[in-house]
Amino acid sequence: MKVLKRKPELCIACHACESACSNTWFKEDNADKSCIKIKEEAKGNVIISCTQCGECISVCPIEAITRDKNGIVRINKSACVGCFICVGFCPELAMFMHDDYIEPFKCVACGQCAKQCPTQAIYIEQE
Amino acid sequence: MIKLNNRACEWEEGLTVQGLLDKKRYTYPKLIIKINNVLVPQDEYTSTVIRDGDDVKVIHLLAGG
Amino acid sequence: MNIEKLKSAHKLLNEYKYELGKIEKGYTNRTLYINVGDNTIKEKPVTQLMKDKFIGGKGFGLYYLWHAVTPETKWNDSENEIVIGSGPIGGITQYPGAGKSLVCSLSPLTGMAMDSNVGGYFGPLLKFSGFDALELQGKAEKDVIIFIDGNKGTITIEEAPEEAIDSHILGEQLTEMYAENEEDKRNISVVSAGSAANHAYMGLLNFTFYDVRRKQIRLKQAGRGGIGTVFRDKKIKAVVIRFAGVKGNLNNADDQGKINRTGIKLHKEIHDFDAQQCRMRQVGTANIIEVMDQYDLLPTHNYKFGAHPDTYKISSKVFTGMITQNTPDGCWYGCSLSCAKAVDHFELKTGPYKGQKVIVDGPEYENAAGLGSNCGIFDPHAVLELNFYCDTYAIDTISYGTMTAFVMECYENGLINKEITGGLELNFGNAEASLEMLHQMARGEGFGKLAGLGVRNLKKIFAEQYGADPVFLNDIGMEQKGLEFSEYMPKESLAQQGGYGLTNKGPQHDEAWLIFMDMVNNQIPTFEDKAEALHYFPMFRTWFGLNGLCKLPWNDIIPASNKHSDEPAKIPEHVQNYVELFNGVTGKNIDKEQLIIQSERVYNFQRIFNIRMGYGKRIHDAIPYRAMGPVTVEEYLSRAERYDGQLKELVGFNPEGKSTEEKMAALRAYREDQYQMLTDAVYKRRGWTMDGVPTIEHLQSIGMDLPEVIEVVKKHL
Repeated sequence: MKVLKRKPELCIACHACESACSNTWFKEDNADKSCIKIKEEAKGNVIISCTQCGECISVCPIEAITRDKNGIVRINKSACVGCFICVGFCPELAMFMHDDYIEPFKCVACGQCAKQCPTQAIYIEQE
Repeated sequence: MIKLNNRACEWEEGLTVQGLLDKKRYTYPKLIIKINNVLVPQDEYTSTVIRDGDDVKVIHLLAGG
Repeated sequence: MNIEKLKSAHKLLNEYKYELGKIEKGYTNRTLYINVGDNTIKEKPVTQLMKDKFIGGKGFGLYYLWHAVTPETKWNDSENEIVIGSGPIGGITQYPGAGKSLVCSLSPLTGMAMDSNVGGYFGPLLKFSGFDALELQGKAEKDVIIFIDGNKGTITIEEAPEEAIDSHILGEQLTEMYAENEEDKRNISVVSAGSAANHAYMGLLNFTFYDVRRKQIRLKQAGRGGIGTVFRDKKIKAVVIRFAGVKGNLNNADDQGKINRTGIKLHKEIHDFDAQQCRMRQVGTANIIEVMDQYDLLPTHNYKFGAHPDTYKISSKVFTGMITQNTPDGCWYGCSLSCAKAVDHFELKTGPYKGQKVIVDGPEYENAAGLGSNCGIFDPHAVLELNFYCDTYAIDTISYGTMTAFVMECYENGLINKEITGGLELNFGNAEASLEMLHQMARGEGFGKLAGLGVRNLKKIFAEQYGADPVFLNDIGMEQKGLEFSEYMPKESLAQQGGYGLTNKGPQHDEAWLIFMDMVNNQIPTFEDKAEALHYFPMFRTWFGLNGLCKLPWNDIIPASNKHSDEPAKIPEHVQNYVELFNGVTGKNIDKEQLIIQSERVYNFQRIFNIRMGYGKRIHDAIPYRAMGPVTVEEYLSRAERYDGQLKELVGFNPEGKSTEEKMAALRAYREDQYQMLTDAVYKRRGWTMDGVPTIEHLQSIGMDLPEVIEVVKKHL
């Protein structure tokens, strides 16, 4: 399956990935609406994104989260009841909520961010 | 002697926080423990020694049921 | 199961069409009234006064019930109502425990207003269908089903002769009948009782939700006080609701983002800490069975003792192995605490469903303690089987457990014998006899039918008809106000004796559970401290019932901040969460003090409602001595060191050389006196007279000086 991989040691915190993601999925340049987040911490930059581990599938009360045939974990937004348990239970903290929406959102490994990354700190890999 | 939750309680040399919990059969998992008003973290229960005369609080957090 | 056949037997009695509503800041501003006697269906507006003074949920229920009945109304009069409602916060999906329904009715056990809270989807779906509450009044001639379609805007009353009565079957039948397809089943919730509620006074109501993973219905119980008995007396077989289209923002909250963030914060806490704290996700409320035993608080043998060597046989470890793991067991969307555990493929050994494999919704702590240890039954299979049958027959497991424990002690003491029990050998530990008594209750036969009348009635019958000593019966019969005690041993905690005794509906721990604060932590040593706790906690906890909330996410998960708090027992961070939720939904701007006043209004209203019905005074707040201390020599001797020590240190009575009877008498005099002094302190703190009547000044100060309330109070001051 396709997964977005991370090499945080290469990240220069240019935040181009966040712009690419929010522009792709929400048609605006807004890091709060990105499915990938760059955190600049004292010990170095941290890249937060989904590993497609599927923990969220098992905590969803309504089976609105499933793994598709390519291995990508996807949210069925019409079935989602907006409880956000998946946000609180994500081990990577990579399931997100924004006040403008009543459903969570996450990375589906589309690769748009990787294309914009100048240092290959993020890249799509087939597992 | 020590004070345990404001009541007199027997003490012996080398008594640890964990030793006290075992002695009193305090098995409940949600506890706040303070010695002379200083919080004892859970991972230090076995290493923290209680001294004679200490004021120990073992607060069981349950106001529920 | 031939659903078409069942359905074709229905006869339509009335159909009503309504405009679909819109929810504004947590309220639909409308309630639904149905009279099954004359088949009236109508809408009522929610007034500003109702919202300001009663908030919702139990507040609305008590308000409607007050105006439906007179001081002379009995539980089985047609004007008695069953009111079901959620509350302004009810139905949000982001914060755990936000799907509760509150049910109010005059109780067959107590004769007063009863309130009982329950999970399942009904309350939220009722609101999304357009109604803040549902009033059921009148009595039908033949069994009826009420169906509310919250998408089409139709309500029907249908005669329904052929469906099952027992909930585990009826719930499946009606879910199948009213869902448009498999996918639609999650949008159905059924309220129903069961065959024992036709006979016993301790009948409950089951509320279903459809478990999408198990593809079966689950049952949650409005257990306390016999409301299921009222339901069946009205010949209501079920109330069914359908609403498709649940989303996270249907309450049209004032600030959805605030609610989302507050919810996510708690989800994260539960994710991080639950496995080390209560293990609610793994084993639910059963996590405390062995903890209670270790602290001498697990009622065994009709509350004689607080521990038993065999408790390990029904410990949480045993049940953990029987529960199906790794499924999200929330009883409403968004409950990550997920305590609604179930045992799948449980094979029944007795009764009409013997040999069948069923889902048992449980075990809950109360069931293990009430059906198990309190009756000396330490067989996990028997506990689960009793649990299953109580649920499907619609019997409150707490009342059943406490009543059975009482009957067993009477039997062991020879107060009743095999002739009276019709051959049932009701010794402690006899699970078969308990099960048979339960089956009799469902069939309306024999000693089981009698037992279903509850401890208060049994005391009278045993004394008057069988010559048993009424003083002893009153000492050991663990009921007060007519309601059976829930399953905690209050003997060594004076504050908890108050937590049980100084309540509105009877001895249920949902008002206050103070045993650790009092007995173990010694945080509330004086009468004034205890009175403060017996003011704060009952008021705080009443608030959950006004808003459609569950209490468990308040303190069955503890945030990291709590160890640095000045008042850890209150869980201040979580109290603030509730303030945020209320303000986030309603757009109001309350603080934690105003939250308490909201509850105080309804709490005092309920107290005065009790007074109006002829109860609610100091005399009704007395508790049996079994709740306070050792009634028998056996009990005294089992904890002789403890009691001797207390006589010396607290009572100023030297036990040396005294007989056990003399020591027991001295201890009893002391403890009964303590309870009276506690009662004085609590009444004072609550703004009541020494007879337990709220004063007019107090009612004015909290804003509960409605004319109809003052009129009642005046007669008693």
